[in-house]
Amino acid sequence: MHSLAREPSPRRDNHHKPHQAVLTPIRCLLVDDHPAIRVGLRELLRAEPGFEVVESLATAEAALAFAERNRVDVAVVDYQLSGHSGLWLCRMLKRLEDPPAVLMYSAFSDHLLAAASVVAQADGLVSKTALGAELCDRIREVDRGATRLPPMPPSFADSMHRRLDQSEQAIYGLLLAGIEIQEIAGTLQLSIDAVDAQMWIMLSKFERSDRLR
Amino acid sequence: MPLVYRVALVNAVVLVAAVVVTLLILAPHKFSSVADDEAALLAGALVLMGAANLLMLRRVIRPLEALTALARRVDLTRPGQRVPDAAATSEAGELALTFNEMLARLEAERQEATGRVLAGQEAERLRIAQELHDQVGQELTAVLLGLARVHAQVQAPLREGVADVQETVRASLEDVRRIALELRPEALDDLGLTSALAVLGERFAERSGIVVEQRVADRLPALDPNAELVVYRVAQEALTNVARHSGVTRARLELRRDGDNLVMVVSDQGRGLVAGGEPGTGMRGMRERAALIGAELEIGRADGGAGCRVALTVAGAPTRDDR
Repeated sequence: MHSLAREPSPRRDNHHKPHQAVLTPIRCLLVDDHPAIRVGLRELLRAEPGFEVVESLATAEAALAFAERNRVDVAVVDYQLSGHSGLWLCRMLKRLEDPPAVLMYSAFSDHLLAAASVVAQADGLVSKTALGAELCDRIREVDRGATRLPPMPPSFADSMHRRLDQSEQAIYGLLLAGIEIQEIAGTLQLSIDAVDAQMWIMLSKFERSDRLR
Repeated sequence: MPLVYRVALVNAVVLVAAVVVTLLILAPHKFSSVADDEAALLAGALVLMGAANLLMLRRVIRPLEALTALARRVDLTRPGQRVPDAAATSEAGELALTFNEMLARLEAERQEATGRVLAGQEAERLRIAQELHDQVGQELTAVLLGLARVHAQVQAPLREGVADVQETVRASLEDVRRIALELRPEALDDLGLTSALAVLGERFAERSGIVVEQRVADRLPALDPNAELVVYRVAQEALTNVARHSGVTRARLELRRDGDNLVMVVSDQGRGLVAGGEPGTGMRGMRERAALIGAELEIGRADGGAGCRVALTVAGAPTRDDR
């Protein structure tokens, strides 16, 4: 079984040094198209020490525009958004110069979304059925640079193979192992742009599927 | 008596009567004194005409009989039945041809109606699933978040109560999510029947704790999309029944080929069918769906004598590869 829970990778630059963690709150960007959930999340994080909600937005486009101009530590992103999806936002955020950690927050947190989250380079996936405390823990963990995606059973590999061609499977395997795009490009002897383009195609393959529609 | 003999008999009677009347009119004086050889000639000619009549009648009426027999036993859920050797060489042949054309039209209309019924059902399910997910699910999530905030702020005596409510809301959110998932034919179009059933088995195992042993043969016959949907739904319902009634921890889901047919079997070694029990809505639903595509559904005891076995036999879609 692939384990997708990884401890902080030394490659990732943390935004704050350990001794500052308590003093500097985690700057959170909330993205959900449901107003009640935005309010609920904002109030929950306000009540917890150590978090600062810098903005809560309804669309991927607005969130991206905000993140381009402001520093965000963790983006909590619903998968289902009107317009571009949460996975699209995740990929776009990860292409920023100083990318935030991205925590996908979805009602359907299953294998397929977990696989799609790997391709979108999300740091974590939390079900909307999780209790508030769990959500707070996950935000802290991905902020530290840890990866928190649910494990995938080996039998799921079969349906993965139907979706992806051989080179895509190779990229997927490397992404799953937490390898950065630059290194993937080197390993597969492709240009970074080619890997990047392929990742968009893979993402669209996942999103075309019935389950994530 | 078959039609052909009835008509032949009437014809023969008319013929004999005509001969007798003709004799009486033309040669009444001779009628009582017909020579033996003349009588023999007459009788011979009559028999010959009768036989010729019978033969001709049979040629005409044979297709009619075939047509009647087919009309009596024709079953639109099993398409492809036709009057054999229908040709426009006689009135009856013409009728048989027209009947065949009518059958083809009825089958096409039936298939279209089946497709519409199934598509309508699925569209309705999808709509409910989306509504559950987009409305109820999101609102319950908001409640859960609100409760988390309250939980963090209240003091000891209330705190436990809030935690209980939180747990209840979380459980109902799980239910909403599960029901929404079950309502959608997950990834059937995307993954194909075999993988969609694998996902179904996995998810079922996750939820019910019942291990589903999957046995899938290679080179299964292709099905048309409506039939795939029915196989998927019947498997889903059969597994639900296992969870509800069998009391076991293992079930088996089998897909194999039987000639041109695909056979899907869900079986367990549990308590089996309740003797004399009313068939539940689940079972009726399975039967209705099977009937829609003309599939055969058998519900009975598993091979070992205990437990329950649901077997669905579906005719494969005609594909060019099979020829």
